[in-house]
Amino acid sequence: MLLEVRDLHVEFRTRDGIARAVNGVSYGVDAGQTLAVLGESGSGKSVTAQAVMGILDMPPGRITGGEILFRGQDLLKLKEEERRKVRGAGMAMIFQDALSALNPVLSVGDQLGEMFVVHRGMSKKDARARAVELMERVRIPAAAERVRDYPHQFSGGMRQRIMIAMALALEPALVIADEPTTALDVTVQAQIMDLLAELQREYAMGLILITHDLGVVADVADQIAVMYAGRIVEQAPVHDLYKAPAHPYTRGLLDSIPRLDHKGQELYAIKGLPPNLMDIPPGCAFNPRCPMARDVCRTDEPPLYEVSEERASACHFWRECLHDLDH
Amino acid sequence: MPEQSDGVIAGTGMGGGMDLAASEAETLEKVPGGPLGTGPAGKPRSLWSDAWHDLRRNPVFLVSSLVILFLVVISLWPSLITSGSPLQCELAKSQQGSQPGAPFGYDGQGCNVYTRTVYGARTSVTVGVCATLGVTILGSVLGGLAGYYGGVWDSVLSRITDVFFAIPVVLGGLVLLSVVTSNTVWPVIGFMVLLGWPQISRIARGSVITSKQNDYVQAARALGASDSRILLRHIAPNAVAPVIVVATIALGTYISLEATLSYLGVGLKPPSVSWGIDISAASPYIRNAPHALLWPSGALAITVLAFIMLGDAVRDALDPKLR
Amino acid sequence: MTSTTEPILEVSGLVKHYPLTRGILFKKQVGTVKAVDGVDFTLGRGETLGIVGESGCGKSTLAKMLCNLEKPTAGSIRFKGEDITRLSGKALKAVRRNIQMVFQDPYTSLNPRMTVGDIIGEPYEIHPEAAPKGDRRRRVQELLDVVGLNPEYVNRYPHQFSGGQRQRIGIARGLALRPEVIVADEPVSALDVSVQAQVINLLDRLQAEFELSYLVIAHDLSIVRHISDRVGVMYLGRIVEIGRDAEIYDHPTHPYTQALLSAVPVPDPDAREHRERIILTGDVPSPTNIPSGCRFRTRCWKAQERCAREVPALAVPSRFRSTAGPAAHDSACHFAEEKQVVPAEEHGNGPG
Repeated sequence: MLLEVRDLHVEFRTRDGIARAVNGVSYGVDAGQTLAVLGESGSGKSVTAQAVMGILDMPPGRITGGEILFRGQDLLKLKEEERRKVRGAGMAMIFQDALSALNPVLSVGDQLGEMFVVHRGMSKKDARARAVELMERVRIPAAAERVRDYPHQFSGGMRQRIMIAMALALEPALVIADEPTTALDVTVQAQIMDLLAELQREYAMGLILITHDLGVVADVADQIAVMYAGRIVEQAPVHDLYKAPAHPYTRGLLDSIPRLDHKGQELYAIKGLPPNLMDIPPGCAFNPRCPMARDVCRTDEPPLYEVSEERASACHFWRECLHDLDH
Repeated sequence: MPEQSDGVIAGTGMGGGMDLAASEAETLEKVPGGPLGTGPAGKPRSLWSDAWHDLRRNPVFLVSSLVILFLVVISLWPSLITSGSPLQCELAKSQQGSQPGAPFGYDGQGCNVYTRTVYGARTSVTVGVCATLGVTILGSVLGGLAGYYGGVWDSVLSRITDVFFAIPVVLGGLVLLSVVTSNTVWPVIGFMVLLGWPQISRIARGSVITSKQNDYVQAARALGASDSRILLRHIAPNAVAPVIVVATIALGTYISLEATLSYLGVGLKPPSVSWGIDISAASPYIRNAPHALLWPSGALAITVLAFIMLGDAVRDALDPKLR
Repeated sequence: MTSTTEPILEVSGLVKHYPLTRGILFKKQVGTVKAVDGVDFTLGRGETLGIVGESGCGKSTLAKMLCNLEKPTAGSIRFKGEDITRLSGKALKAVRRNIQMVFQDPYTSLNPRMTVGDIIGEPYEIHPEAAPKGDRRRRVQELLDVVGLNPEYVNRYPHQFSGGQRQRIGIARGLALRPEVIVADEPVSALDVSVQAQVINLLDRLQAEFELSYLVIAHDLSIVRHISDRVGVMYLGRIVEIGRDAEIYDHPTHPYTQALLSAVPVPDPDAREHRERIILTGDVPSPTNIPSGCRFRTRCWKAQERCAREVPALAVPSRFRSTAGPAAHDSACHFAEEKQVVPAEEHGNGPG
């Protein structure tokens, strides 16, 4: 495994109490593999990624347990200095909002080149040449001329390409993309996802794609981890999950996608709202919204049951869920 | 852009906080169609009552407002804590130190420093409060209207404020106030309003422009609401917070400006009582009678600090980013 | 192509240009942003018309003009035959009662200083004739109930609610005056996935209950398809293709529509191998500098010389005019041809 997160716990101290944002998350990704982490806001999917990257704001955040193994080495035990080295060369992150993730007062060439100056000790001139090369690699037209431009002079799609170029500059083994296309239009989203998939193949890197979009996931993921209230509720290869979800939350999400044969009818809607992280319901966190919930769900927190060799589900009744296709 | 709340950007310092903000708000959701979920009991909390709730727990606020309360009380009823008159001076007691009946000693003219310091508060508070009121009313009306209507008037007003910002305050005071013969606080207050309103008007204008862009203003307009309703009901309550903060801090600076002008001899003049006059009168004797300088300066510094701290505390409480 | 029912809203030749100026006191016009540049459509009574397009295509400006939040530069908007762009004063206020808007962002569309009761009751204060004073509180509570919120919440403030609940409050405010037309600008895009379906169902239910006509603007094509009877596709300030939902989704004839549809990720991992995707090159041109002729030609793979010369009209393309098939709908392309881009297994379901 390139990256393995084991039983990670993260909480946030706020003035109203302690919010348990991540409650025992484990997942792994291999080189050349794409893991999609699917969840709504507050599911803890971004917080987990920030903990992996070491960019979690602490305080108010606090990692209260677990391990993050990168090539077998526990990142949480490293000193900040060593951690920084891993972060630059070993793993990189792509953010949703490229405009605020790029420095507005530096030209894109300077920002891309800085990576090589800092991490590779290159001269400014060589770094600039590499910056142009990278911009060509992410297919920015007229890269040699645009390298002097500032982030605001690029369109949203082009800025996201620059973000990708920055993430790939040092050829990291792992890239975490946090909602990389949410802010973009569909046609641009298609361009960016295509580019990302192609570069991933080329560099054989591990990719963690954090998203709420079931369409994007189906297009690019190999493995899926569905998160809810800070836990993974289902883990499966992409084809299996879409064919037959083994958790009622996943099934609810899939059912609420508008489909042609349901036109004119009421959409299936998961009732209620995601729980307050300061007050997660006892038992299964999904039980107040679950159509299948029974008494045991309100008292016993379901473990991650092994459904098959490759899949797991945190539902006491995963068998029913799996087989009861037309509820 | 769905799910903005989960799109956390590193380096912006938001961390997981945004996730929490989203989930915090969700405590009250009920199951649609079904019976009510149990929301937290208690009465509705407006943003103002939330701010007040925060303020009451803030020690900076408590200390500064106690100081200010004390100042207001003694400027209304100075005889509560002193029996003498600030104008009753005996040259014989000139520069004498602390003694019974005169804990702060006597100044060069033989006036009781304690009594004069107490009476000086009245001038400072009057000038501070009146100047701030004038500045705030004039500035927010002009700035607010310019921000709301925009166009030519906005451009003209912006240029005028630029011109006013270019005038050095103390120099302006020396020039304008030296021709005034009246020895009351009003010319000083008038001068401060004249030079101070552009500061507030700029804040009010910016804040109105920001609130104007909110969708709820559009919504009111789509309903056919009149301009006055939109301004008073929707924009003013949301735009007023930064004005209050700046005005509170400005109050402190007006008090120190009055002292400065009086020190320079163009503000109030004896026989008026003002900390600035006392500081000015005491400075030649700084070696022999430092106490005569120390007490009015100390009172001035504490007063100004109290207002600035109050402004800071109010800003923290009203900061929408913390909500 | 017009609606099948009696038209309630007729838009023709609608244009909104914003001057680009430079200078502080003496402004000089240096250009024009052509946000909406000639839009025609009709909305039938009880119908839902979806408008899709990418950011900057002018769909939000269009919505604002329909709700009289922006004055059009040219063109007309007829509500039941009366041109509302020329109205002012009392007549305008009366018309506003009939066209209401639901906003995208539930966090900025409710005044944080007002209670929910005041927010939903404000329409009655602005239009006192709509409800007698003593009756208003009851009506507000009724509206809360209609949108699925507890009527006892009237005294709470918006920040005590979640995004989905706030959107319901916004919808209740829009319904207060019993409008006939609701313009919804991205009504669910700011909400969580699992909450989106709830709000869509609510809109659907209210349409039947209050006999509303909807104009729904969105970028999510699958949601638009679910709720719309007809769909218009906008590009750079114009509608490039409009028709019944099945005509647009299953038989698109404009290359932009085809590219847009093919770019939508399909929630079916089996489809990814045999799905043809049209990846457009480049970005949308700036609305200050719209290409000559067909505005899509700079990104179109079919563009020829004629496209730069001649502006294609929004009409049934000549090659389909004689047929009665689903391809015979308005499409502004010189070289319109049918192309199926939505996965094949779903085709049987579309009404041919």
